[in-house]
Amino acid sequence: MELFFQQLINGLSLGSLYALIAVGYTVVYGIVQLINFAHGEIFMIGAFGAYATWMVLGQPTDWSAPLSILVLLPVMIIGGIIASVTVALLTERLAYRPLRNAPRLAPLISAIGVSVFLQEFVRLFYGRIPGFPDAKSAIPFPVVHGISGEIIQLGGVTIQMSAVFTVGALVVCTVFLWFFVNRTKTGRAMVATSQDPDTARLMGINVDRVIMAAFAVGAGLAAIAGVAHGLSYGNIGFRMGFLAGLKAFTAAVLGGIGNINGAVVGGLVLGVTEAMATTFIPGQFGSSAWKDVWAFVLLILVLVFRPQGLLGAKVVDRA
Amino acid sequence: MRVVIPDETKVRFRYPARAVGIAGAVAMIVSILLPWSYGSDALDDMTFYGAPSPLQLFFVILPVLALLLLAVPLVGKQRLGRWAKALAWNTSAKTASLAALGVVVVALAAIAIELGGLINVEPGGWVALVGAVLAVAATLFLPDSPEPTLDRLKSPRWLQITVIAVLMAVLLFTAAYALSLDDAGDFLVFAAFAVGIVLVLRQVGAFAWLGLAAANNNRVLVLSAFVVAFAFPFTQNGSDANMSIASQVLIFAATALGLNIVVGLVGLLDLGYIAFLGAGAFTAAVLSESAFATIDFHPPFIVTVLIAGTVASLLGLLIGAPTLRVSGDYLAIVTLAFGEIFRITMNNLDGSDGPNLTNGSSGIPGIPDLNLFGFDFGDPHVILGVDIGRFANYYWLMLVVIAMIIVVFMNLNYSRIGRGWVAIREDELAAEAMGVNTFALKLLAFAGGAFLAGVAGAVKAHHDVSVTPEQYVFLESAFLLAAVVLGGMGTVTGVLIGATILKLLPEKLRFFSDYRLLLFGLLMVFMMRFRPEGIIADERRQLEFHAEDEELATDVEEDLITHHAHFNPERKGFEL
Repeated sequence: MELFFQQLINGLSLGSLYALIAVGYTVVYGIVQLINFAHGEIFMIGAFGAYATWMVLGQPTDWSAPLSILVLLPVMIIGGIIASVTVALLTERLAYRPLRNAPRLAPLISAIGVSVFLQEFVRLFYGRIPGFPDAKSAIPFPVVHGISGEIIQLGGVTIQMSAVFTVGALVVCTVFLWFFVNRTKTGRAMVATSQDPDTARLMGINVDRVIMAAFAVGAGLAAIAGVAHGLSYGNIGFRMGFLAGLKAFTAAVLGGIGNINGAVVGGLVLGVTEAMATTFIPGQFGSSAWKDVWAFVLLILVLVFRPQGLLGAKVVDRA
Repeated sequence: MRVVIPDETKVRFRYPARAVGIAGAVAMIVSILLPWSYGSDALDDMTFYGAPSPLQLFFVILPVLALLLLAVPLVGKQRLGRWAKALAWNTSAKTASLAALGVVVVALAAIAIELGGLINVEPGGWVALVGAVLAVAATLFLPDSPEPTLDRLKSPRWLQITVIAVLMAVLLFTAAYALSLDDAGDFLVFAAFAVGIVLVLRQVGAFAWLGLAAANNNRVLVLSAFVVAFAFPFTQNGSDANMSIASQVLIFAATALGLNIVVGLVGLLDLGYIAFLGAGAFTAAVLSESAFATIDFHPPFIVTVLIAGTVASLLGLLIGAPTLRVSGDYLAIVTLAFGEIFRITMNNLDGSDGPNLTNGSSGIPGIPDLNLFGFDFGDPHVILGVDIGRFANYYWLMLVVIAMIIVVFMNLNYSRIGRGWVAIREDELAAEAMGVNTFALKLLAFAGGAFLAGVAGAVKAHHDVSVTPEQYVFLESAFLLAAVVLGGMGTVTGVLIGATILKLLPEKLRFFSDYRLLLFGLLMVFMMRFRPEGIIADERRQLEFHAEDEELATDVEEDLITHHAHFNPERKGFEL
């Protein structure tokens, strides 16, 4: 039973990470029906942006725990968000907006190009900034005292502080999203646009701006996920966005793409499933080498039996 | 960048402009008699007076063309009669000058980089540059010519066939020459020249004429193309280095052609296509005589290849059946996920994380050469006094495979199935309403495409000698997709060109290898932005990307009608 709770905690932490990224896929898809293939790279850039902020701050390693958590971490997160939002808006402007009326294959292929480009750009040029480490291999993420490596022991269950941060970030972001979507003008314009872009435009909504807002919100959450990833795994690398992005997309589909709550639920379900699969599937196929396979099998099963997703009220029928 | 010069100015300056243009062209022609480079290490030794290097000789073709296009109208346009009216003299001269300028710039840049600074450029190089700039500037001042109408001229059959044959021979020579250039600078200069020539020919209207000639002599064209491709190994004097590249290009091209059916004809975006190639390769590997093969059953290759194709297409059915009902975007991600599942599974079937089938990440090495009907593909032999090495054997085998794929593709394209596919691509709902069984057709395309990839994979396993999971990562799928997109979705020629470019350039530009993927990503974005239909555009496809272009729409319509004149419903196929 202890093992079950331990894996539940691990799964929720992993799932929160997926959920934070998945929101970006789902928001953008809900409005422009584009699978933003480069979103995983936006997540990666968020992490590298946070790292760059830490470098600019003079690589503080000896700040006390309260100072680290209350000042260093928020500043790093803001730095990461600035980096990821800037890149996301640039890609939207340069790579996707010109293709908005093109056949559906075009933006998707463009997005693959953006994804490869961003990975390579970071790999080749991050280390060229004076004083920065070479990004061709993984970079150790800065230690934030009070979070990195700290644990809470609850009975037989070990909880990493980084997991607490990740889950906490998801809770805060979900509340923020709820507020944003339901109580702000831009958020409601987003809902309107996703329901009917033409009518929304007739009602005086600036659709271009709404789309930019969608990309920005998704990128902001992805940056937070990037920091959470760095804190949990202790390092970041230019390739980290590929698998995480793919999993997060799976989570978005699982929850029902286009549905923000669905993305959160889907992320958590996927995370827990992965954690449980490595523990409770007997024999060789339960080893952690297979966990990604189980996640993708789950994706295929969902598409067969419930293509609209767990919470998907929105019928998705796009050719 | 577009320089707009008012028409009145052009008319006023037409004589001085022509004179300056001719002077520029002559300057470029003279420049090859002068040295371009101070050191002999840069490019192919352009240090001599009066003895041009091969690259300089190629280059001079462009200014000579410009000179002819500028000078002939002065002396003998009347005597040329109908030909004179058919050519776009001025615009072609402008293109030729621009192309020459491009080659000069690339050449000077290569000299500067290879020898360290522009100081190493000798007078000849500068004369060529000044000449090219003069010619370009002058031709900008010439009045625009009307569209070329070369294709409306009647030309005798023998002329068409001769031109096709000559063209094929030139193509063979070009390919052999380009492959023989080991230096990246040489290769780039030659590539610039080749692109320039193609642009000039297009501007002259030669391609339109060729297109017509090709349509009239389809059989001759296809046959001569294959004869030329078949003859290629004889130009290599037994060198395995280039044949290895060539056979890799063909394996890649065969796979891309399979993907072309799925993406280009049916419009299903498959991002895990490499998994089918991998499935074929692993199947062939475990059934091979390799000491590391895990299954104790070693059928002859003919059987193996069928098993490999079947395994791949079964995987295609397995992944396609559930996901082809939901729509396109999901398919892209599911196939991507499937590609990952495949790679991880091949990694894990190593005996510790799962049953031992593939030896995990170390893969299956030591796969012996193919043996077909007692003929060992590893044996070099001599034909007509030319050494034919191991890779040439695989090259010929892949040529046969590609020929079969093309025949299938062409017949499908104009068959009931093919038209069903295109209908699905253009509007699935409408197609379904017209009674097209969309699900079955999509599944057929998916499984068929997988089968082709499986066959290519089986050959690849023997060609590469070893098979490891890391050869079948997502990036390879992206490359395949890029070959299809770059060349032109839905066309055979385009995909062949795209595959060649994507495989050949990285081999020839090794100094660039660190930036390869960066450029690849940019290329995909720019391609989608500026020429989504690819280098060779399928006309119907082009219309999808440029829906507002009325003129194009009428063209395509006329074209389809003429095509259907060739179409013989009795035979249920398209005459090749």
